[in-house]
Amino acid sequence: MARNFFVIGIVVLAMCLAASAGTISGKVSGVSGESVVYVDVIQGKTFPAPSEHPLIDQKGLMFTPHLTVVQVGTTVDFQNSDSVAHNVFWTSVGGNKKLTHNLGTWPKGEKRSFKFDNPGAVPLLCNVHPEMAGYIIVSPTPYFTTTDKSGAFKIENVPDGSYTVAAWHEGAKSQSKPVAVSGDTKADFTLSK
Amino acid sequence: MLRHRGLLVVLFSMLIVMAFSETSRAIPAFSRQYGTSCSTCHIDFPKLNDFGKAFKDAGFKFPKDDESFIKVPPVLLGAPANKELFPRSIWPGTIPGLPPVGLRYNHFFQVVSANRNNFNLQNTAGDPALNQFIPRTDFQTGLFSIFMAGNFGSDIAFWVDDDISVAGANSNGGLGDGYLKFVNIGRFLKLPTDALSLRFGQFELDLPFSQARTWNLSGWDIYDQPNIGSSSQNVNNAFALSNAAQGVEISGGHQYRGYHYSLAIVNQNTGGTPGSGASVPPIVSYISDSNFKDIYGRFSYRFNLERDPASRNEIQAAGTTGPRDHTYLSLGTLYFYGRSVQRFQGQDSTGTPVVLTAREPFYRVGGDFSFNYHALNVFGQFLYGRDQNLLPNIPQGLPLPTGTTVASPAHFSGGFLEADYVVYPWMMTIMRWDRVNSTADFLNGIGADQNTSTGPYLSPVSSVRNRITPGIQFLIHANIKTSFEYQIRPKQIVYLPGTNTVLTSPFRTNSAVAGLEFVY
Repeated sequence: MARNFFVIGIVVLAMCLAASAGTISGKVSGVSGESVVYVDVIQGKTFPAPSEHPLIDQKGLMFTPHLTVVQVGTTVDFQNSDSVAHNVFWTSVGGNKKLTHNLGTWPKGEKRSFKFDNPGAVPLLCNVHPEMAGYIIVSPTPYFTTTDKSGAFKIENVPDGSYTVAAWHEGAKSQSKPVAVSGDTKADFTLSK
Repeated sequence: MLRHRGLLVVLFSMLIVMAFSETSRAIPAFSRQYGTSCSTCHIDFPKLNDFGKAFKDAGFKFPKDDESFIKVPPVLLGAPANKELFPRSIWPGTIPGLPPVGLRYNHFFQVVSANRNNFNLQNTAGDPALNQFIPRTDFQTGLFSIFMAGNFGSDIAFWVDDDISVAGANSNGGLGDGYLKFVNIGRFLKLPTDALSLRFGQFELDLPFSQARTWNLSGWDIYDQPNIGSSSQNVNNAFALSNAAQGVEISGGHQYRGYHYSLAIVNQNTGGTPGSGASVPPIVSYISDSNFKDIYGRFSYRFNLERDPASRNEIQAAGTTGPRDHTYLSLGTLYFYGRSVQRFQGQDSTGTPVVLTAREPFYRVGGDFSFNYHALNVFGQFLYGRDQNLLPNIPQGLPLPTGTTVASPAHFSGGFLEADYVVYPWMMTIMRWDRVNSTADFLNGIGADQNTSTGPYLSPVSSVRNRITPGIQFLIHANIKTSFEYQIRPKQIVYLPGTNTVLTSPFRTNSAVAGLEFVY
């Protein structure tokens, strides 16, 4: 009997927690193509970094994928799949030039890894092929997503509360706004270059 | 004397044209085909980096896995399976998916020092028609050229470029290079990879340092040096190593490591004047002026000096901050042999007029080196040229020569030494020293009519002409650059016309040149 009450209690608690998590959905307009929307730093809260390593490849003189979004603390693997020499470097993280870094040169088929401990946009470059460009957006929270090509997005399982939500698009000025999440919450952004 | 003056006119005009109209080998069509920046292959176009050299050696394609890099797929001229039907089918090939066209234009501005006014001292007659006027400043249109290159599949590469507009004497321009290259044909003979390639058409000789791929505004003097004998010599060889050659060339090896060789058999035309005739109408213009074909050979070896053996054997070295050109030392030699022809009126033993032909063997031989360490490239060339001198032999009592007699040869020597330093990816500095030693040039300079526009301007003070040329260049974009060069020219002197009376002390007519050019 006591065990039954315990199980029922757990189920009720889970349902209550689910009932207090909402979604942030909306549209990023003013730009075309994929954008990134994420919940900015939540004071007093930290989140364990995922153990998975996203992979960014250099293939056909291009960074693949062109845009990658990760949570702060994530380790990203960089692979060279081309039969030409490449390298990976970035000039800043989130505009902070002190966080510039160069991963050097490595041969085809091998990987090098880097753990991103600072949030912000990371513009990826190759010093041999200056036309190559890629981006990593390091989100301070696990609540992030990329929009579809029309700009529509949906971030799920965001606990109810007040947050700052930011939108980023390559070549455009980022925008942040306060959003009070309560169930399904709408938030639209209009970006400009 | 008259012949020398005419040649000096041509020479002077060529120098002006060549000073500011270099053909280009930077080809934006490759940028378009592969969707990549000029700097993938070039250090400040048109100079090639190690990858660019490998791209060229491979027949204008990526050395490995080309199909994985090309963004504009080639057009198939036949499905590959047609090979299985051969000989009952045409062997399949491809053409570039986009017309592989590149265009280049440059413009110059020159400032000449006040010493240019020394040349006006010769005009004692006060006749404006005799006045050689050298302006202090001058805007000059340079070169507008179109160039196309690529690969037809089956390791067949092509290149065609035409100078549509050239400043100076050759205002109508003309074909630069036009050739087909069969890359790595040694595979049919079971030779090592890249041991044998064949090129056919019109092309720049395989010089150690191509003027077409240099970033200098003015050419290297020694490559433009003909061998025109003094008035006491019967040598009139207009050939210069920078001339375009027509013929066939075999080559092998690589420019970015190890050995490289080339051997070419080319037309000879040392008189500079093409012949014409008609075997089958219409009238044909011939380039050769004799039956003899000249020979050019070159061999070089490049030692890549990277400590890491894996990095040493790659096309580019693996730097700590990214790939870069190797640290290397390259040593090479070249040899050119020809037989200059001069035809003149003579007579036989019976007094009947005949055409006498003096065939004067000549050669050019040289050694070169190039050392590269990160952003610094130091390189140089030494060259020696010698022409046999056959003087018309006029027996006593006869009005015309009946043959020739061997006299002292005409020769010259010289070279250049240059250091290029890439300060930033967009800023390059240059320091260069050109030297030419030609006694005949010195004697011809003071012997020419001082009232022409050429003689005094080419009157060196001594047999040795030294030129120091510092320069700096800036890339505004990867395909737009502005260049500055200051030429500390050889010392000159001016004489009273028709005499050896000196009118000036030795002086230099230094000049500053700025160039603006773009390719697309």
